[in-house]
Amino acid sequence: MIRKREFAFLLLIVPALLFYLIFYLYPVVSTFAHSFTDWSLLKRSVHFIGLENYKQLFHDDVVLTGIKNSIIYAVIMTIVQNALAVPLAVALDKNLRSKNLLRMVFFAPAVLSPLVVGFLWSYIMSSLDYGPLNQMLTQIGLGSVNWLGEPKLALYSVILTQVWQWTGWAMVIYLANLQGISKELFEAAHIDGANGWKTFWNITLPLLVPSITINTVLSMIGGLKVFDIIFSMTSGGPGHATESIVTVLLQRAFTDSQLGYASALGVLFSLFVMVVTFLQLRLMKRWEVS
Amino acid sequence: MAAKKDKTPYMLELCLIIIAVIVALPIYYLLVTTLKTPEEAVASPLGLPHHWTFGNYAEAWNMMRYPKVFMNNFIITFFSLIGCTLLPCMAAYGFARSRNWLSKLLFLAIIAGLVVPFQIALIPLYKLISTLHLMNTLWAVIVVNISVTIPFNVFLFINFVKSLPLEVEESASIDGAGVIGSFFRIVLPLMQPVIASAAILNSLTFWNDFMGPLLFLQTRDKAVILQEVYRNIGQFSTNWTAFFPMMVLGVAPLLIFYIIMQKYIIKGIAAGSVKG
Amino acid sequence: MKKVFTVIASLFLLSSLMLAGCGKTDEAGSKENASGAAQSEKKVKIRIMGYNKEETRKSYLDYLKEKLPNVDIEFQFVDLKSFENMLRTQLAAGEGPDIFETSGSGAVYANAGYVEDLTDASFTSKYNDTGLMRYQGKVYTIPLQSWFEGIWYNKDIFEKQGLTPPKTWDEWMTIHEKLRQAGVKPQAMGAKSWEPMMKQSMGMLLNEFYTKPENKDFDAAFSEGTKKVSGNWNEVVSKWTETIQKGNITKDMLGIDYDQAQDEFATGKAAMWESGPWAAEALKQKNPNLNMGMFPIPGLTEGTGWLIGGPGSAFAVNKQSKHKDVAMQILELTATPEAQQALIKDNFGSSFLKGVDVQLPPEYEDSAAAFKEGHVYAPWITWPFGAIAEDYGKSLQEVLTGAKSVDDALKVLDDKAEQQRKSLKGN
Repeated sequence: MIRKREFAFLLLIVPALLFYLIFYLYPVVSTFAHSFTDWSLLKRSVHFIGLENYKQLFHDDVVLTGIKNSIIYAVIMTIVQNALAVPLAVALDKNLRSKNLLRMVFFAPAVLSPLVVGFLWSYIMSSLDYGPLNQMLTQIGLGSVNWLGEPKLALYSVILTQVWQWTGWAMVIYLANLQGISKELFEAAHIDGANGWKTFWNITLPLLVPSITINTVLSMIGGLKVFDIIFSMTSGGPGHATESIVTVLLQRAFTDSQLGYASALGVLFSLFVMVVTFLQLRLMKRWEVS
Repeated sequence: MAAKKDKTPYMLELCLIIIAVIVALPIYYLLVTTLKTPEEAVASPLGLPHHWTFGNYAEAWNMMRYPKVFMNNFIITFFSLIGCTLLPCMAAYGFARSRNWLSKLLFLAIIAGLVVPFQIALIPLYKLISTLHLMNTLWAVIVVNISVTIPFNVFLFINFVKSLPLEVEESASIDGAGVIGSFFRIVLPLMQPVIASAAILNSLTFWNDFMGPLLFLQTRDKAVILQEVYRNIGQFSTNWTAFFPMMVLGVAPLLIFYIIMQKYIIKGIAAGSVKG
Repeated sequence: MKKVFTVIASLFLLSSLMLAGCGKTDEAGSKENASGAAQSEKKVKIRIMGYNKEETRKSYLDYLKEKLPNVDIEFQFVDLKSFENMLRTQLAAGEGPDIFETSGSGAVYANAGYVEDLTDASFTSKYNDTGLMRYQGKVYTIPLQSWFEGIWYNKDIFEKQGLTPPKTWDEWMTIHEKLRQAGVKPQAMGAKSWEPMMKQSMGMLLNEFYTKPENKDFDAAFSEGTKKVSGNWNEVVSKWTETIQKGNITKDMLGIDYDQAQDEFATGKAAMWESGPWAAEALKQKNPNLNMGMFPIPGLTEGTGWLIGGPGSAFAVNKQSKHKDVAMQILELTATPEAQQALIKDNFGSSFLKGVDVQLPPEYEDSAAAFKEGHVYAPWITWPFGAIAEDYGKSLQEVLTGAKSVDDALKVLDDKAEQQRKSLKGN
């Protein structure tokens, strides 16, 4: 009986597993296997070269810049996006007259394609006279800023656009969580004389932990894997100032034709994300329990 | 006390409205530029147009072959959604309920897919699609969409299934329904809320996907909306006031859909994802 | 919750209805085709992949369609930013386009055995030898119209300020200065891309380095690895950075795209802009009153100056193409005066086909002397490497921001070249 049930469970898993194995795992594993070779698009033969690619990675300045940028990007995105989204959700959970309209406005950027967002913001942040952002800053007496051309600033400008795009998204998940919390809890707290802040810290925030876990884990993984917005806004420039791991990976794979080398970067990067995610889940679980 | 209670939300509402205006500005800029002549757009980027010109849209609509590409986008999103809902649902149920080591191992293998930068695997994938004679068909994009989102969706669904009470299924199994029967008759209907929220999240990814179509859909009659937008940008681009309406036409369907569905989206996600 | 489900269910219903509708139109379409089925069945599909947009090839494609009614030619445009990713993915998977656009000799593709050897093809001998770029003595690509870039300038602004196109580098620098004093932005540049600075520095090299007899074979030696750019280019490129020090190229430009810079020039906000003939149509479209001309990049001593360019883009035939015969037929047709004129009509350049004369449009009068001397060249397209000029261009962006010195930038180029030479070895 149990055997039969277990078999049926496996049967349910099989269709998804087949798709996953054929169209996801097979291409990934076959690429990863090439990380020990000199696989290149420039020649036909492939030779086993052991750990050579991995050794080279640590001497590649651009790779190191990419790693640094992806980490900065992921950490800032995770913190800022969620730190803004939680209060926003709490505020919009209140009985405001315009709450539906406001929710809509905050969520709207999330449905735009990254490609369009990239081009749109390239114009908005343009350092030309008609760049709307600089025109506005000049009008209120602040000087214009070289948003995407200043290497020290460019990455943060990209992050700014992404906070704009994805905060509303996180907000919706928090709102959803808040709606699942019984209102009686808040009323009870109110009767106990707890003020706004106290209620927030002692009741709201702990109850939001499940969605905080989901949001922070997803924005961390998404942040480390960031690619399309950088591709469409700066192409990794000026110089290599905004290069991310995935943009470097694609450059090494296709522009430089060094597929084996890029695969090695892919392997190390996947391991890294795995470790980060694991640690983060552990950390969140500890918080959930306490 | 009562007065204070009223006052706070007003201040709060005012603040929120100011923030909302700032958030909406870029979208306003996108929309208002489409109604201007190039000179106007340069002279006052944020001002209202002097005379409204909708000709830009008519031109963009025709240049993009809008009905055709819209339909392609729609077909891809629709079938990808069905696949990426049904398969992971079944799998999540199987994973959540089975107790053997094999399924635990398989589960780990699938979840590991969450962390891989998938762009690296394009060459073998491309070979595969061409071996299967799927090249330049919408199905190529659909199967890739389904497969790539399996880790995320299994991750999303499994927590929900675990939160479902076992009793219902057990009583069904006493009634003689097999595992598969009780999944389709009892569990799947119970999963409606989480399916709704997953569909919302996934449809965004599918509709806005660009890499997949660019790789696998090579002829113009198979192209999706973003590919048509993309034809008109880049190094040899011409006229950006003609290009902005294309961007608007590119994002409009989803934007309108989400504006209409906004209330249900939050409810859907509320019912679905948070139980994890 | 029930409501949500109803809404979603009805959406699904609605969409399946729409799908059914669309299925029908498809059917209708196929019926329509059925009448001409015998004809369409035989139609061979040929895919041409290019990084020049369809508009710039329109007359040419129309000409092909007219001459080859049984061939279904699909032109796939992919922007340069992702062109190599796409093309190389497809070639490596054995599913490349039948014909693709590339620049230079196609060495990278030839080395990997992706492209057909065209040395002995019937049409190859119809081209002037100057247009045929060889790799290890063999021809793998057939040149389309020539490609060149110079400095577009606004004739009205120049006239108003009493300026004429510069004959020397110093004159050019003075022109910048005068325009700035008159409150006009001298040069527009979309330096967010790595290309414009790379090209302008090459302009200086063409004038001051490549013209010297001892450097005649530099590119061949560099390709081989017997010579390096470090120690050879430093002085000239350092001299070129004068234009950065004088504030003609600024950090602001790193935040500007190609088309934004084009806009600045078209609307008369900037007096000069470096680009090529393909921009002419777009500029006129944006500002029909624009009175513009193009001059070559001047050197330190008075001369005709140099334009950046060369055989430009060329077509290569995929060795694995299923319809190689038809692909060759297309190249055969391309080697006719009609096809060449059609190409030139949408994107001006000269033809390398023997016996095709091209009238120089008035915009390019200031460059006529440079053309006459054959002063059109681009070093990097003769190198048999991948896109290493991109790394050099990105390094120049870092020179502009002060993060790198010229010596560093040249070292990056050497390192990249060495790495490519290594991976080209063996096949």
